[in-house]
Amino acid sequence: MLWARFGPSLLSRYGLLWALGFLILALSLLSPYFLSTANLLNVLRQVSINAILALGMTVVILKGGIDLSVGSLLALAGALAAGFALSGFPPPLAMGLGVGIAVALGTLQGLLVAYAGLPPFIVTLAGLTAFRGLTLVYTDGRPITGLPDPFLFLGNGTLLGIPVPVMVMLSFLLLTHLLLQNTALGRYLYAIGGNEEAARLSGVPVARIKVFAYAYSGLAAGLAALVLTGRLNSAQPTAGTGFELDAIAAAVVGGTSLAGGRGTAWGTFLGALIIGVLNNGMNLLNVSSFYQLIAKGAVIVLALLVDRLVRRR
Amino acid sequence: MALLEMRKISKRFGGIEALKGVDFVVEAGEVHALVGENGAGKSTLMKILSGALAPDGGEVWLDGRRLRLGSVQEARRQGIAMVYQELNLAPNLSVAENLFLGRFPPFLDPRELWARAQALLEGLGLEIPPEAPVGTLEAGQQALVAVAQALSQKARILVFDEATAALSARETEQLFRLVADLRSRNLGLVWISHRLEEVFRLADRVTVLRDGQRVATLPLANLAPEVLVELMVGKREEARLTLPSPKAEAPLVLQVEGVGLNPLRLSLRPGEILGLAGVVGSGRSAVVEALFGLRGQALVNGEPIRSPLEAIRKGVFLVPADRKTQGLVLELSARANISLPVLRSLTFGGVILPSQEVALARHWFQALRIRPQDPEQPAAAFSGGNQQKLVLAKALATKPHLLLLEEPTRGVDVAARQEIYALLADWAREGVAQIVSSGDTEELLLLCHRILVFRRGQVVAEFHPPYRGEEVVAHVVGAVRA
Repeated sequence: MLWARFGPSLLSRYGLLWALGFLILALSLLSPYFLSTANLLNVLRQVSINAILALGMTVVILKGGIDLSVGSLLALAGALAAGFALSGFPPPLAMGLGVGIAVALGTLQGLLVAYAGLPPFIVTLAGLTAFRGLTLVYTDGRPITGLPDPFLFLGNGTLLGIPVPVMVMLSFLLLTHLLLQNTALGRYLYAIGGNEEAARLSGVPVARIKVFAYAYSGLAAGLAALVLTGRLNSAQPTAGTGFELDAIAAAVVGGTSLAGGRGTAWGTFLGALIIGVLNNGMNLLNVSSFYQLIAKGAVIVLALLVDRLVRRR
Repeated sequence: MALLEMRKISKRFGGIEALKGVDFVVEAGEVHALVGENGAGKSTLMKILSGALAPDGGEVWLDGRRLRLGSVQEARRQGIAMVYQELNLAPNLSVAENLFLGRFPPFLDPRELWARAQALLEGLGLEIPPEAPVGTLEAGQQALVAVAQALSQKARILVFDEATAALSARETEQLFRLVADLRSRNLGLVWISHRLEEVFRLADRVTVLRDGQRVATLPLANLAPEVLVELMVGKREEARLTLPSPKAEAPLVLQVEGVGLNPLRLSLRPGEILGLAGVVGSGRSAVVEALFGLRGQALVNGEPIRSPLEAIRKGVFLVPADRKTQGLVLELSARANISLPVLRSLTFGGVILPSQEVALARHWFQALRIRPQDPEQPAAAFSGGNQQKLVLAKALATKPHLLLLEEPTRGVDVAARQEIYALLADWAREGVAQIVSSGDTEELLLLCHRILVFRRGQVVAEFHPPYRGEEVVAHVVGAVRA
């Protein structure tokens, strides 16, 4: 009785935490180094870029869309910020411009989806290609190096003993969580993803909310760009290739429904952590990166299967 | 021996007995009409025949063989085919591909397929190009393709369920000709329609269902339309609600130009409940859609309404026909559904004020007696009647002065239905003008200060209480020349 009443909700609500806990337990038994503070901070730092992108992705997926352009947008924003900084803009302004352009391009894609009625998959696929092209044109295919200190601080610095990328990630997690759970905007995203027709008949400004979702994903790409550029101490024209798929994977493992209307910021964060811990663990255990890809694929399918089983009842 | 015999079919849905031991017999070479008001059990009976539903009791015999029930594939294999208002055709595939869908040989020359399709269509006297994608055909031709598809699958019983609802007069004629042709080929044809003129033109016999029971099976030849209507409607109790009179304040003036509807001007006093009666496709839904800014154009007191958002701002709200696909976001909590249209007024700087939102949901849960009394449950977890109350709560939370309701009690049990009627009467007392569009004429008789009957995009009659129910129904189904 009790299990029937509470079991499934406990599983679905905390299933991800349990999975993460199990993973951590297993890895700490397999590798003594895994549980060290240095390694855990390292995991968080490695996870930060994917987590930031995945949080933006979650907002788009929630409303029933998808954003394939984030990897390319990240590269473009990073290159622009770096380029502006080197051409004499004060670093904070250069960074702001980079992020701002990412938001603007996200908005543009949102306009195409919401007002021109084009399918999100196609619009952002075009974005994926075009933004990469813009990056290659702007950088002439070469990395931009020799960045000023603020970039390095964003990528490699620490605040109160915590790596700055982790700080950025946690702030963005908090922001996204508040957006989704506490604001009218967030509620509208869930409503549109859950039943767009019902949302429209309830007077929700559907088109504007959709545009916002892509703009927010652009913001995520911009922030991730600054962190990555700082960590690499350079803007790489090929940075972020394939990152969109990792971001989607984190969101999905975290319980976000690709059909829209279901998912949380915390879930996505945990999804990113699970994937990150798995990668880290396999690195520590010297698993070849080829096998790592297979394992990652298996985990994504497994997470969906478990989710489906829990929800079916 | 009859071609089709359905014997003592019974079916319950929860507490509702949808069919109570119904017998239904169709002979080869007859068109047999099945009529009854909404909820009489027609579609349940036909779903059992098509295998979409398994009955709780009874058996079905086709050509002397007992059918295994509850399987669509089995029914189809035995030669039972359905032609619905919404057709089961693949619009992107060609006519020929649709005709032989699911039965392609592994390698087939498209020209061969076209030739076979051509032969089949010509055999039926149809001039439809076999290579045309079905989606490019008119609605009427699509219906003909659906019939041809059923025949190519060796159907022996064809059920037409409101098959003409989306067709023009000319297209309807074409379909009639085809049906007459099929009758001469000794098929058993079941014709379900709300339009009695079709029934009289086309059918040989009629079976009347009322409240899940068979009332009569009669030849149509010498039957008077009024008698048929009376059989459908039965002797009704005059159980009208005590409606408050509309307020004497200035009326709302509504100008409506709906899709497929003659332009219309209405005036509606605060607290008045106006009923729109008519069969599906008669134009009554177009009125409601235009007034909520969905399709067509409408002016309320001279001000245009171009979108739902604008409608809501002007105090108009729609309770849509289908609560699951239009009314509610099923995954969201009942609380979030109720607050959705007024969410902005419950925020400070864009942040939702939880205490206000919870208070709003609590208020409406109590006012409408929604069960279970837990606004945090997802909307999907509530029963049909309570989901409908959730949609009503949403509507009321916007404090509308004009409430539009489409099929407000469809699929709602009797008890909840009575509650909903009482609520509507209460709001009328509060001065909310209401327009109720419903296929259930009985509920309009019960509820409305005034009823407009729509047929083919026009208002054909206006009724005031005391209503004579048979007369209103007769106008709705077209048993009276307008």
